[in-house]
Amino acid sequence: MIDDEAVMVARLGRFVIQKIKNAFYSIGFFFIVIKESLFFLRRRQVGFKVLVMQILFTGVEALPIIAIISIGLGAVIIIQGVSLLPRFGQGDLIYSILIIVITRELGPLLTAFIIIARSGTAIATEIGNMVTSHEIEAYMSVGINPVSYLVVPRFLGVTISLLLLNLYFNIFGLVGSYFVTQLVQAVPFREYFSSLLTQLVPADIFSSLIKSLAFGVIISTVATYHGFQVDYASTEIPQKVIKAVAQSFVYCILANVVIALVYYI
Amino acid sequence: MSMETAIRFENIEVIKGEIILFEDLNISFPKGKSTVIMGPSGCGKSTMLKLAAGILLPDRGNVLIEGKPLLKFSEKELMEFRKHNGFVFQDAALWANKSIFQNLALPLEFHFRHLHSNEVRRRVEKMLATIGFRDDPNLRPAQLSAGECKMASFARALITDPSVIFMDSPLISIDSEVIDRIIRLIQDIKKEGKTILISTHDPRLTSLVADELVVLKKGAVLESGEFDNVVRSTDKEVITVLTDVLSKASTFDGDILELLDTDREKDS
Repeated sequence: MIDDEAVMVARLGRFVIQKIKNAFYSIGFFFIVIKESLFFLRRRQVGFKVLVMQILFTGVEALPIIAIISIGLGAVIIIQGVSLLPRFGQGDLIYSILIIVITRELGPLLTAFIIIARSGTAIATEIGNMVTSHEIEAYMSVGINPVSYLVVPRFLGVTISLLLLNLYFNIFGLVGSYFVTQLVQAVPFREYFSSLLTQLVPADIFSSLIKSLAFGVIISTVATYHGFQVDYASTEIPQKVIKAVAQSFVYCILANVVIALVYYI
Repeated sequence: MSMETAIRFENIEVIKGEIILFEDLNISFPKGKSTVIMGPSGCGKSTMLKLAAGILLPDRGNVLIEGKPLLKFSEKELMEFRKHNGFVFQDAALWANKSIFQNLALPLEFHFRHLHSNEVRRRVEKMLATIGFRDDPNLRPAQLSAGECKMASFARALITDPSVIFMDSPLISIDSEVIDRIIRLIQDIKKEGKTILISTHDPRLTSLVADELVVLKKGAVLESGEFDNVVRSTDKEVITVLTDVLSKASTFDGDILELLDTDREKDS
C-alpha cells in the first residue's frame, strides 16, 4: 500500500517536473523566435523566399473566405440592426455595434480562427513531417538554423498576413456589407458612411491591430512549436496538430479578453 | 605514430525518455582517416554520427572538435564548422518541397552569399555531373528512385567541399548498381584525404574504405582502433558482433574476417 502511494507520488512528481520543463522550453522557444526575427532582415536570410510564400499562402489565398465571412457578418448586423433598433428609438446604435463587432471584436478574432484552421494546421503538419523525414536534421547538418529559416518566415508571414487580413475584414465588413444590404433594405449611402466614420475612433483601429498582432504571434508560435514536438512517427503529427489548434484557440481568446480589458480600463 | 584527432567524445551521456543510449562514452576519430562504425541495429551508430556532427547534443559530456568543445562554439564558429561538414542521411533526407537543384543550391546560397546565381548553377551542375546524377535536377525527391535520391544526398553533402563527411548507412535500400557507384564515390572522397565517418553493415564497403573500425553494442564501444587490429581482435564479444552484423548484411557464408581481408588485398 505504501509502495503504491510512493509510486503514485513519484509519477505525479515526474508529471509536474515535465510540465515545468515544457513551460520553460516553450518560453525559451518563443524568445529564440523573437530574437531570430529581429536579426532576420539584417542577416539577408535566404529564408526571405519562405516569407514571401508564407504571406502568399496565409495572406493572399485566404482573401476570398475572409471576404465572404466579413460581408456576411456585416450584412446580418445591418439587416438585424435596422429592423430591430429603430423600434426602441436607438437606430443610430447600429454604427456603434458595427464598429464594436467588426472592428474591435469579431474582425480580429474570426480572422484569427480562419488562419488557425488554414495556416496553423498547415504549418504544424509541414514541420511535423519535416521532423519525421529528418529534413530538420538536414537543415542543421548544412548549417541552416531551422528556427531562423523555417520558423521566423512563418512567424513574420502569419503575423503580417493577419494584420492585412484584419484590415480586409474591416473593409469588406463595413463597406462591402453595405452594398449587400441594399439588396434587402435600402440604407442611405451618405448617412451610413458619415455616421460610421463619426463612430470610428483611432482607439478602435489601434485595438484591432494590436489584437491581430497578438493573434499572429500566438498562432505562428504555437503551430511551429507543436510541429517541432513531433518525435519519430507520422502518427504523432495529427495529435500535435490538434493540440496546436486547441491551444491557439484558447490563447487567442484569452489574449482577446486581456486586450479588451486593457481597452476599457 | 600519433594521429591528429578530428572529433573526440568525452564522457558522453545520451538519454532518450527513460532509455540510456550512451553512458560515459569516450572515443576519438582521427583526422584525414575513414572510420567505420559497425554494430547491430539499434546499437547507437546513427546517434553517434549525429553527435559527432553536432546535430544532436549530449545530455552530459563533451564533443570536442579539434580540441574545442562544440557547446562552447560561438555562432560564427558553429557556422564555419557546419560549412565544412557534410552529412549523408540513411533515408537521404532531401528537402521534399524543393527540387534537386534547389536542394544543392541552398547550402551554397547560405554559406557563400557573395556567389552569383550563375556561379551557383555552375557549381550545382558540376557536382551533379561528378557524382553521376542521371535524372532531371528540376525534379523533386518524390519523383526520383531511392538510388538517385541517395546520390543527390551525397551531392548535397559534398557541395560545400567539406573536410569532414558523415555517412549514415549509405548503402541501405539501394540496388547493386547504385551501390557500386556509391562505393567508388566514397573511395574518391577518401583519396582526397577527407575525414570520413561511416556507419554501415556492409562488409565490402568496410573492407574497401575503413582505416579505423569501431565496434558498438548497446551504446558501448566494444573495440576501436586500426581496422586490421580490430578485425583480428580475439575478444569473443567483438567477434560475435562482427560476425553477426556482417553475416546478416552479406550473402556470403564463409569466414567474414577472411572476406574483409580478401577485399582489402584486392583493392590494394
